[in-house]
Amino acid sequence: MSVTTLTRSLTWPGIRPWLGTLARLGLAAVWLFAGGAKVGDLGGSGRAVNAYQVMPFEVAKVIGAALPFVEIALGVLLVVGLATRAAAAVSSLLLLVFIAGISSAWARGLSIDCGCFGSGGQLAAGQSPSYAPEIARDIGFLVLAAFLLVWPRTRLSVDRWLESTT
Amino acid sequence: MSKRHERKSAAKVVRKQLAAERRRKRTMWVSIAAVAVLVIAGLIGWGVYQSQRSNSGPLVAPASATTTTGETVGTGPVQIQIYEDFICPFCKQFEDNAGPAINNLVSQGKVTVTYNTVAFLDPASTTQYSTRSAAAAACAADGGKFKPYHDALYAQQPAEGTAGLSDSQLISIGTGLGLDQGSFSQCVNSGRYEPWVGSVTDAAAKAGVTGTPTVKVNNQVIPNPTADTVVAAVNAA
Repeated sequence: MSVTTLTRSLTWPGIRPWLGTLARLGLAAVWLFAGGAKVGDLGGSGRAVNAYQVMPFEVAKVIGAALPFVEIALGVLLVVGLATRAAAAVSSLLLLVFIAGISSAWARGLSIDCGCFGSGGQLAAGQSPSYAPEIARDIGFLVLAAFLLVWPRTRLSVDRWLESTT
Repeated sequence: MSKRHERKSAAKVVRKQLAAERRRKRTMWVSIAAVAVLVIAGLIGWGVYQSQRSNSGPLVAPASATTTTGETVGTGPVQIQIYEDFICPFCKQFEDNAGPAINNLVSQGKVTVTYNTVAFLDPASTTQYSTRSAAAAACAADGGKFKPYHDALYAQQPAEGTAGLSDSQLISIGTGLGLDQGSFSQCVNSGRYEPWVGSVTDAAAKAGVTGTPTVKVNNQVIPNPTADTVVAAVNAA
């Protein structure tokens, strides 16, 4: 690699699309793990949503059954890099809802597991909830989503391939 | 700059604008399609859940239970509601600790105990042991042996993350307690009470029970259920 190409690829416009790829694949992994952990127990997923006590049980069941599939679909979109900005927007929205839910459970003094990656529901006696780390983790994921929302053009993506065909 | 040159660069600007417009439109349609895919994925999830429910057969309750609550033991005036899962280690701890005291309360005629045998922890075994064991206990209730069967299941509780006891092991525990080989094994093998376990589990979640064991005395949740706290709550009731 010559000195000129090296310096060009090390500039912000050169690095950014690759950072975007990392963010995209990282966020994709989050959604695929989160969805995959819950998809085998849709009833349990509904109960985990219900444990937040923010909606009627019947509604929580619908959300709980739908959510793992939405998460997996989001993960697939992000892995291939299709409609990255839209996927990042929906990701940000979901993460904000999750953060709000966990915060409100914390504020109301509920003693639940967030159910983010399966399980969920009330904690056994002697276990204490870990709301702060759960929220911090979700904020980390939100940073990835925000990066892609602002800079959706990433390397190794279908979006980029579509762009090059016109 | 020559006239020709100006026309050329103007045409270039127009071409660029048209290309940008095409890109914008395509991005918009791709985004709309992606959001539609997400909505469809959600609907598929709901559909899968519904079909899992409806495939599980008719809802019938075993002896001494209703379609939404578990088997009852005793006839005393104070109501104890226990929500437990046969694979839950803390439920076994609770049973080991408070079981004898609760048996005493029952034999003294002080309490009616409802054992809501829920299946919160189906993913904790590889074979949905929570549902299968609770359904087998319901079969035992039909044979009049719910409580001894319940105690036997806790005595032989499998570890989380395993396959749990097999159906044939569940059957041999029952026949060991004197349950009829033919009808009990038929009941267990056909999963007759599995829809009922799902219904009791749903009812528990709907009532705000989010974990096991949960113990209520006259509808008041006992925060740290042990022999002492439960007996104290019953005496205070």
